[in-house]
Amino acid sequence: MPTGLSSTSAASPAALHPTSIQAARRAVADVAHLVRFRVGTVRRRRALRIAVGILVGITVAVCTVPMALPDTRSNDVLIVMPTAFAAFLLLNIVSGVASGGGRELLSREQGVAYPVSPTTDHLGALLMAPLNIAWLLQAWTILGSAAYALPASAVPAALITCLLWFVVSTSAAQVVAWTMEAIRRRAHGRWVVRALVGACAAGAAYLQLTDQLIDFLDRLPTLWLVARSLDGFTASWLTGVGFELVVIAATVVLGAVPAHLAAKLPSRDEAKVEGGAYPVRRMPRTVVGMLASIDRASVWRSVPMRRGITVLAVGPGIVAILGNMSWTNMTILPGLVASGGALLFGVNAWCLDGRGLLWRENLPALPGQVFAARALVLAEFVLAASLVTLVMASLRAGVPSASELAAMLMLVLVVTLQVLAAALRWSAQRPFPVDMRSARATPAPPVVMVGYSARLALSTTFTGLLFSTLSRFPDWRLSLLFAVPLLAWSGFRFARTARRWQDPVERSRVVMAVAS
Amino acid sequence: MSPQPVVDIRGLHVRFGEVEAVAGIDLQAYAGQATALLGRNGAGKSTTMRVLAGLVPPTAGTVEVDGLDIGRHTLAVKQMTGYCPDVGGLVPRATPWEHLQLSAKLRRLDSWEDRARDLLERFELGGVAHRITGGFSHGMGRRLSVVLAALHEPRLLLLDEPFDGVDPIGVEATMDVIADARARGACTMVSTHLRELAIQACGEVLVLRGGSRVATVGAAEMAGEEGARAYRALLD
Repeated sequence: MPTGLSSTSAASPAALHPTSIQAARRAVADVAHLVRFRVGTVRRRRALRIAVGILVGITVAVCTVPMALPDTRSNDVLIVMPTAFAAFLLLNIVSGVASGGGRELLSREQGVAYPVSPTTDHLGALLMAPLNIAWLLQAWTILGSAAYALPASAVPAALITCLLWFVVSTSAAQVVAWTMEAIRRRAHGRWVVRALVGACAAGAAYLQLTDQLIDFLDRLPTLWLVARSLDGFTASWLTGVGFELVVIAATVVLGAVPAHLAAKLPSRDEAKVEGGAYPVRRMPRTVVGMLASIDRASVWRSVPMRRGITVLAVGPGIVAILGNMSWTNMTILPGLVASGGALLFGVNAWCLDGRGLLWRENLPALPGQVFAARALVLAEFVLAASLVTLVMASLRAGVPSASELAAMLMLVLVVTLQVLAAALRWSAQRPFPVDMRSARATPAPPVVMVGYSARLALSTTFTGLLFSTLSRFPDWRLSLLFAVPLLAWSGFRFARTARRWQDPVERSRVVMAVAS
Repeated sequence: MSPQPVVDIRGLHVRFGEVEAVAGIDLQAYAGQATALLGRNGAGKSTTMRVLAGLVPPTAGTVEVDGLDIGRHTLAVKQMTGYCPDVGGLVPRATPWEHLQLSAKLRRLDSWEDRARDLLERFELGGVAHRITGGFSHGMGRRLSVVLAALHEPRLLLLDEPFDGVDPIGVEATMDVIADARARGACTMVSTHLRELAIQACGEVLVLRGGSRVATVGAAEMAGEEGARAYRALLD
């Protein structure tokens, strides 16, 4: 890994003031160094190999298996492909902007001793973007759709177009994300960003209210690209691919510019949180209340958590309004939002205290009280997000039937407890020392996050589909009946984790890991 | 009849997997005394402090604080200890005042606010009492950790690297806290790499090496050039 010049090295002017080309070459080389460093720090090599194998296996499967399925709705799938391409781009933009320029290849705390340039940081964020379950699920859906909807002879060409589109979307989104971050870090920048986001939301609302949304989606420029990928390796396809390659090259290079601009300025969001004075609040009456009040402060004063939960709660709500989701279809939302909320900090819940956990563990509180407070705050966090989404979605869905209401209420309870039990279990099993100051921070390493999010997505989606089915039955008591065993199972797992937290050896392991 | 020690450690072993961080320490510390733990990195000082703070359970041996076995009476021991950890020790997004509120609540302190304000002023932290600690410098964090350890006038005051990166005003305030603790009959243990400050603050010095105690000497014997040579010899 390159570091500063040693005392015996001659500091030549060329080394200190490299040209743009030299700097770019060095940035690319540094990305390779950082990747090797990150991979080298993985303790469970076998698990990493298995995880990579699974990801590659799923990708190969989604590219091939749909070709063998009966071709009954290929036209329907093809029609939505341009929208799916645009949605993928939008997802990347939202994700990149919310995370302040994308995930870090090396965390700020770890990287502070090394001369990591903003270009390296930008390229690292590009590499890290696919390690996100939302990115992967959308990519797999698009690949699978192409493989399903097109004749076998046209699939390879279409898949190449799709794969390049994923790179185009990620790199273009990165340019937007860095630009927004550079704006956000300037005076009044946060208000400018909010105004831009508001304008986009108002635009979407206008299209929806004036019944122009479908026309708008039909005229998306992605249609041009999709149309060129339908007939196999033709000259037309080559034009599309050539266009994608040009855009990739341009956006990868262009992204470094706002990345440098952003790196020159301190984060105003963090400065506001760290420099602001917080008024004294009255002490809660109970011990658990007091512990929870500190935990709540740790959550809501964290830039990534506040920003993340806002996007998670509002984003699906807007999609539900625009898509005119029915109560039956809305059952997919609570699980999605609760899982996303837990992924913001819950899967490594003890990291909230950072090294302060050493001091907190010396305080005379019962382990059960500490556990209860953390669980309460996590439950509040995911429930609040789920409820905001549901309230937004219900604005267009109308009044639910008794079955729909019962299914939704039970679903919210079940997925909250499912997510809570899983997150706290993982928090104790695999604690990580993480500083959650930066908007770019994640509570666990990227590959681990992919594993967690996949497992959460699987279980909560299954639960959502179950209650979606139950909501169609006229008897609302069915939802209660099915909820009881699910709640009991998650409650059992939650109680087991709470019992393990009582063990001083187990607790000490977690404390030492988080505070290391 | 000799007085009962506040800290009574016999045959303490602490293992983290393959690593033996503490390899059979015996230690007694008494009320009204301040004891320094000196030694190189990895000598077992911080682990011993963490055991006494109730954070790390002993792998073997007995540890008693004021006659209470730390394994069986962990909560009671935590009630009577004040601990300044060696690293961090602060919740990053809570303010100093919120830290003090939490400690006061869990220790059932009444009328603690005046003492808290006084300590914050003595450590020159009064002006940042309502800002979150994530933006603090290392020295500010160390000073606040000492304040938190001292707030409830504990029977056993555990200060792990309290002088690390602290300015002279903070060092002086920490010395005052140690002197106050001794004066009111508390037992104080200070782990540090700064020999001169340890000698100034404490009456007795324990030197640890490789997880074991290698010497217990009066602080005066560790002073000056002669003391530095003796200390150096104990480290090798």
